[in-house]
Amino acid sequence: MTDLIASDLVVKRGAATLLDTLSLSLASPGAVALIGPNGAGKSTLLRILAGIEAPDAGTVRVGDRNLGSLPNAVRAATIGYLPQHFDPHWDLTVADLVRLGAERGAQRRSDSIEATRETFELVSLWPRRWSTLSGGERARALLAMVLVVDPPILLADEPAAALDIRHRLDVIRTLGQRGGERLSVVVVHDLDLAFRFFDRVVVIDRGRIVADAPAQELIADPLLDRVFAVRFERLRTADGWLLRPTTGDPSLRSG
Amino acid sequence: MRVWLGLLVALVVAILVGACAGHDWATPADLLRAIAGEPDLRSRLLVEWRIPRVLAAALVGALLGLGGTVFQGVFRNPLAEPYLLGSAGGAALGATIALLVPLAAPQSLALPVLAFAGAWGSTVLVIGISRVSGAVDAAGMLLAGVAVAAILGALRSFLMLALSDETVSLQIVLSWVLGGIQTPTWPILGLLAAITAVCLAICLLLAGRLDVLGLGEAMATAFGLDVTRFIAFAVLAGSVVVAAAVAFGGLVAFVGLASPHIARWLIGPLHKPLMPASALVGAIVVTLADALSRSALPPAEIPLGLVTAVAGGPFFIALLARRLRA
Repeated sequence: MTDLIASDLVVKRGAATLLDTLSLSLASPGAVALIGPNGAGKSTLLRILAGIEAPDAGTVRVGDRNLGSLPNAVRAATIGYLPQHFDPHWDLTVADLVRLGAERGAQRRSDSIEATRETFELVSLWPRRWSTLSGGERARALLAMVLVVDPPILLADEPAAALDIRHRLDVIRTLGQRGGERLSVVVVHDLDLAFRFFDRVVVIDRGRIVADAPAQELIADPLLDRVFAVRFERLRTADGWLLRPTTGDPSLRSG
Repeated sequence: MRVWLGLLVALVVAILVGACAGHDWATPADLLRAIAGEPDLRSRLLVEWRIPRVLAAALVGALLGLGGTVFQGVFRNPLAEPYLLGSAGGAALGATIALLVPLAAPQSLALPVLAFAGAWGSTVLVIGISRVSGAVDAAGMLLAGVAVAAILGALRSFLMLALSDETVSLQIVLSWVLGGIQTPTWPILGLLAAITAVCLAICLLLAGRLDVLGLGEAMATAFGLDVTRFIAFAVLAGSVVVAAAVAFGGLVAFVGLASPHIARWLIGPLHKPLMPASALVGAIVVTLADALSRSALPPAEIPLGLVTAVAGGPFFIALLARRLRA
């Protein structure tokens, strides 16, 4: 019921085409990483899949329903969205933020608030205001407010990009593991984390999908070097392959 | 809890001070005698003129506090105030027509009705313009608001020049624009109280969604809020509140800007408690300012808007400085 299927999405901004007849099937459960260079259209795609923006053409289906026809409350409870930047205007407490997360959709469940507080280790942060939280604490609070209703679909837009390495690992691992029983689609900046924690990696470039494959297959593909305009050295480790960028090379993109 | 008690006590004290203040200061004992129904002239003046006026000031202040909270919540801008979307210009135009154009209706009726229509109509116009031009977001509305305010201001100036042949009527218009609580009869005061109660209820209804909107438009949309529709709805509702305040109190500067900030310092940014708190702060501020405007330079009355502007200007500057430092 909660597969996400995008068909022929087109998004234009003036003369620029951000998404160019992009189609993508996302089966639940699954952990899918979206990677691609800056400006490839990853964030735009995620916002459209989340129903925050409407495409100029094309459709998104959630299970057997059209995303646009879902009532707002149902969409909010079905699709969790983690934005790239989250900066609440009012300096709310963690407790208030998680409560606002829990009150979206129709149901209001205080037991899920309690459980979320434990799961995300927010007990000591509960009365603290957003402005007093560190980057890692903010990431946890944000995850908690989005996941408190346990949405079947989670769309996350580089939520860990600004975090230090340990918190980045924690967040990306949490999101990847969620793909074991739900659908978890994450824009990931750090390629090694993408290949390590996600089963399926989708590469987007210039508004199109240029590769879509199981992580361990894709990592050897020279296409990565072309898309990111970097020559990667592939290192074999006990955990699998590692990508080490050597030099940036713009000429790779013409290939 | 202590904050609420403090606010209520402050309001009661402000109303008492307001009822005592005037060119002819009354004592609390005078007030009690007047309320008990003593037939002497002084008591009757207190009951029929001063007490309704003081209560009207409190209610107008409450409306301004509510309106300011809605507008700051919608535009997520600490400098947002209730007259932002042209309602001041619209109200002033309506009042100018009521004061200068000979109408069939008596002025005591035409003035509040036209001021209300002008204040609300101009906001509706602003939303309409931003909708037609495809910029229904906050920035589009602000720009449309500036444009509408300029046009309405020019129209009002033209009317003032064209219609007033004697300086007296210009003075009436000017003093209305500078703000002043109209002394209501008791039935009208009851109406104002009922309007205020309805406005408070509407604002409480908006409160939860204003909190969600404060998460940012993307997050609010992801949380199921139809941001565009909600903003338009909240602005329309907020401008009803402001128009009601304008109809009974003219243009009172800074109260709608300052009250939500003061209330937020006291009880935090969640809108559900913020609405009544901001209404209480607004009521206290306007009641005291009105008392000052009636008693500072007897027998003249300083326009209320001047009092609040003189007190509010420094507040505004402090606010700006805090924001620039942050």
